[in-house]
Amino acid sequence: MKNVSRIIPCYAADTSGVCSALYELSGMTVVHDASGCNSTYATHDEPRWEDKRSDIYISALTEMDAIMGNDEKFINDTVSAAKDRKPLFMTVCGSPMPMMTGVDFDAVAEEIEKRSGIRTFAMHTNGTRSYIEGADEAFAAVVREYARPLEKIKNGVDVLGLTPLDFKLGSDVSIKKWLCENGFETVMTLAMGDTLESVKKAAAAEVSLVVSAAGLSAAKYLKNEYDIPYICGVPTGRAFSRKLADALKNGEKIAYPLSQTPDVLVIGESIQALSIASSLTEELGISANAVCTLPCDEEIRNGAFKADCEEDIEALLSELSPETVIADPFYKYILPEDTRLVALPHFAFSGRCFERDLKDIINTDIGELIK
Amino acid sequence: MIKIALYGKGGIGKSTCTANLSAALASLGKRVIQIGCDPKADSTINLLHGDAVIPVMDYMRKYDEEPERIEDISKIGYGGVLCIETGGPTPGLGCAGRGIITTFSLLEQLELFKKYKPDAVLYDVLGDVVCGGFAAPIREGYAEQVLIVTSGEKMALYAANNIFSAVKNFEDRSYARVRGVIMNRRNVENEEAKVRAFTEKAGIEITADIPRSADIIKYEDMGMTCVEGDPECDAAKRFTALAQTLIDEDEKNA
Repeated sequence: MKNVSRIIPCYAADTSGVCSALYELSGMTVVHDASGCNSTYATHDEPRWEDKRSDIYISALTEMDAIMGNDEKFINDTVSAAKDRKPLFMTVCGSPMPMMTGVDFDAVAEEIEKRSGIRTFAMHTNGTRSYIEGADEAFAAVVREYARPLEKIKNGVDVLGLTPLDFKLGSDVSIKKWLCENGFETVMTLAMGDTLESVKKAAAAEVSLVVSAAGLSAAKYLKNEYDIPYICGVPTGRAFSRKLADALKNGEKIAYPLSQTPDVLVIGESIQALSIASSLTEELGISANAVCTLPCDEEIRNGAFKADCEEDIEALLSELSPETVIADPFYKYILPEDTRLVALPHFAFSGRCFERDLKDIINTDIGELIK
Repeated sequence: MIKIALYGKGGIGKSTCTANLSAALASLGKRVIQIGCDPKADSTINLLHGDAVIPVMDYMRKYDEEPERIEDISKIGYGGVLCIETGGPTPGLGCAGRGIITTFSLLEQLELFKKYKPDAVLYDVLGDVVCGGFAAPIREGYAEQVLIVTSGEKMALYAANNIFSAVKNFEDRSYARVRGVIMNRRNVENEEAKVRAFTEKAGIEITADIPRSADIIKYEDMGMTCVEGDPECDAAKRFTALAQTLIDEDEKNA
């Protein structure tokens, strides 16, 4: 049975990706789903709920609403909530049941927008894809809608694809600090530690830094529409961070030095895993590579391994038998017997289970990570 | 681009009308795609001389994966018409409407329209708009106009009215509008008057009047449309005239 996880958990779903991407942008996110599911999107997959408010609603879809195709109730409730909350924009997302009954979210969003007068985006989530795809669609939607032509800010950088599903809280501050130390000015950090006002200034950047695959569609839009080049990478480890800073200055794509017979394998979000593997090679001379377990452009993944279900990941690990694997602690259950695990908790994978051990990897000593 | 969905009561002749209209558009030099949206998957059979295309749902069932190329789930029929059938789940199981939505998502992924660049796309949809899946062909981006196929028979008109009401329910959305009726005659008493009473009440037109024709049956028995079999027969001429009307309108609106 392909795609069935018997041992390891699955990654957070596309709906959580949308909620996480838009959490700080003062919009209202409405998931068309059964009552009781709000905690999944708004708390289990979201560490910011304790100290930051965000309007995330569940439609409380009932069996009869689904059977009867009662879109009207969903539309009315959303418009009513919008009148109370007055969000800057709204987003409606699907979940498995609306997918089965074929709810037309584009048409529903159009009706909500007409009745409420508030810009409303339809997200084509169905709860079966990964958070990367949901966040990617959400980031692209807000950038398309709100970015406007502006005069360039010298050395201005848009950071794209930043969510707590991949990065420890506070990573936005670390990235801004690292950018500043390297002579850059942060235009926006989409979307941790930032607001919709920054999204409106996105086109003022000279270059985009894509820190997860969730930022790729937005980056491509900014490239096509405003000729802003983008570089994919996470500034981790001193040597790789320097290389990344140089790439940002030159606007040139970065090459990841990856080994096909690695001693160390990094499993996780593609751009982050590629960056860690490259950092190990650049700084410590370790032969390393990444296993991309989540969607990512082939062009970016070039040279890395791809395995997107437990069966394939287990087979790949068994075939490569690396000395060390850097991954979320839950991966230890499918590692070959002699392989050492270096725990790097991934919130989108294990949620709050290892929350206290989450690491801020921005511009830190890579040797500390592999210890 | 001409983008039309044909709806109507089961057995009223939707597939016959759609295939003949496709053939007529093709014979007038247009690049046509016909998509059968019915689990029976027999919409395009008379464009293919009986050599049926594998329906999308059958492909997924057989290979347990999505097709990677349009060629895997299509065949070229008479006049170069690209024939596709959604098919459906095992009878009595699953969800046929969901099958249509899945097929449409897949065709979008395969960039069907971008790659094939059709002049006309015709959707031949199962009897009634029974659920969200069967409304998929009239959603934004697919059909822009609906033609309802009906005869003067009471139950055919009843179904036609249901379809008209269902499409009207979506008038707040950017969905297709009912363009008119193809009167597919069964030679019932006062047939035209009965159909006209419906169209006048609904405020729509009779877009085409197709006679009860032995030629249609004769050529279907041979696995083809009457437009292919005898372009000069009365029925074929009616389909060609309908095709020409649609082309003229499309060119005018371009």
